[in-house]
Amino acid sequence: MESAIQPSCFDCALRPDRLFCDLPADALEAFDSIKSLIPYPRATVLFREGSMARGIFVLCEGRVKLSVCSESGKHLTLRIAGPGEVLGLSASLSGGPYEVTAETVDNARVAVVKRKDLLQFLREHREACLQVVSLLSQDLHTAYDRVRSIGLGRSRRSRTSRVH
Amino acid sequence: MLSPYGLDIIESCLTCKMRTDHIFCDLPTSALQAFENIKYATAYPKGAVLFVEGQAPRGIFVLCKGRVKLSICATDGKTLILKIAEPGEVLGLSATVSGKPYELTAETIDPCQVNFIKREDFLRFLKEHAEACFKVAEQLSEKYNNACHEVRALGLSHSAGEKLAKLLLDWSSKNGEATKQEPRLKLALTHEEIAQMIGTSRETVTRLFADLKKRQIVQTKGSTLLIRNKAALKVMASNN
Repeated sequence: MESAIQPSCFDCALRPDRLFCDLPADALEAFDSIKSLIPYPRATVLFREGSMARGIFVLCEGRVKLSVCSESGKHLTLRIAGPGEVLGLSASLSGGPYEVTAETVDNARVAVVKRKDLLQFLREHREACLQVVSLLSQDLHTAYDRVRSIGLGRSRRSRTSRVH
Repeated sequence: MLSPYGLDIIESCLTCKMRTDHIFCDLPTSALQAFENIKYATAYPKGAVLFVEGQAPRGIFVLCKGRVKLSICATDGKTLILKIAEPGEVLGLSATVSGKPYELTAETIDPCQVNFIKREDFLRFLKEHAEACFKVAEQLSEKYNNACHEVRALGLSHSAGEKLAKLLLDWSSKNGEATKQEPRLKLALTHEEIAQMIGTSRETVTRLFADLKKRQIVQTKGSTLLIRNKAALKVMASNN
């Protein structure tokens, strides 16, 4: 089946529905030039928890499992990220290590952007920077939800569908 | 000099000596000047609640002095302390940006100076100052990192003993004590609050501390804790 994902963001039919992707034309053009669209088969590790952040992975198509791991090898799946999400964002911004391990659970197509290019892009395109701030705050809300459910058991305050 | 709660209130960000130490505060002069115009510097005593979980976001609270306890609550009243915020941290940030309710309850554990900025003023400020926007992104990233750390600690640790050991090691690595053979730390929280941080009961925390003292792994003098046997604590922290 023909993939809906096109080499250029401008031709992507899914763009208006996705928070990060819905950028003004000049920002989108700049983004097109710094991204590399890469297909990844199922069960590929995009990045590992603890390794230094090299850049972000925009999930154009497919899903990715995000998990954390203890020293003894015990795993905990945080959630499954869906298409449209930007992975490795907070680590790339702070310059630290990735907080989670990301592994594809479908055959995926990912737009990869190197950290250095991303930072320059955000400095030059304020609109994109604001989008990123929105995305990060959403990520944070999701993380807090997880803290809540793990730390306090199943009793949540409200069951709004914030978790993908 | 007279001032509420013994706090020496920092009136201007532009002349603040701690500015360059804090990610968010280290803004270019033009942004800082705009920030000055929209902030309200206020003093709070210990035990004051800045905002509660579930409240509609009024704005951000930049912590200038003192420390604030950040916690999450379940419907049955059980509390989990997520972290202790230090000066330089921006509280209520994700809620203010997204418009969703505050995720956490923020309560001061020292007398604090807090710079409050109304939501609409802050959002306008971000639109006009790209550098500030970038700093906000950095702060959010740090918080996300911290939340993931919390998920790991809660979800992957088996026992309360393991979590307590991890917490003590974490705390002991601050304030330049990290490299010391026998690091020292000030216990800012009660046993009840520590229990809320690691998701266990107060009785368990008291029992664990008594055990650590008996085995000479730690030693307490008032509210100061000295780690005598760092290696043993590390073993406890990684036990499966």
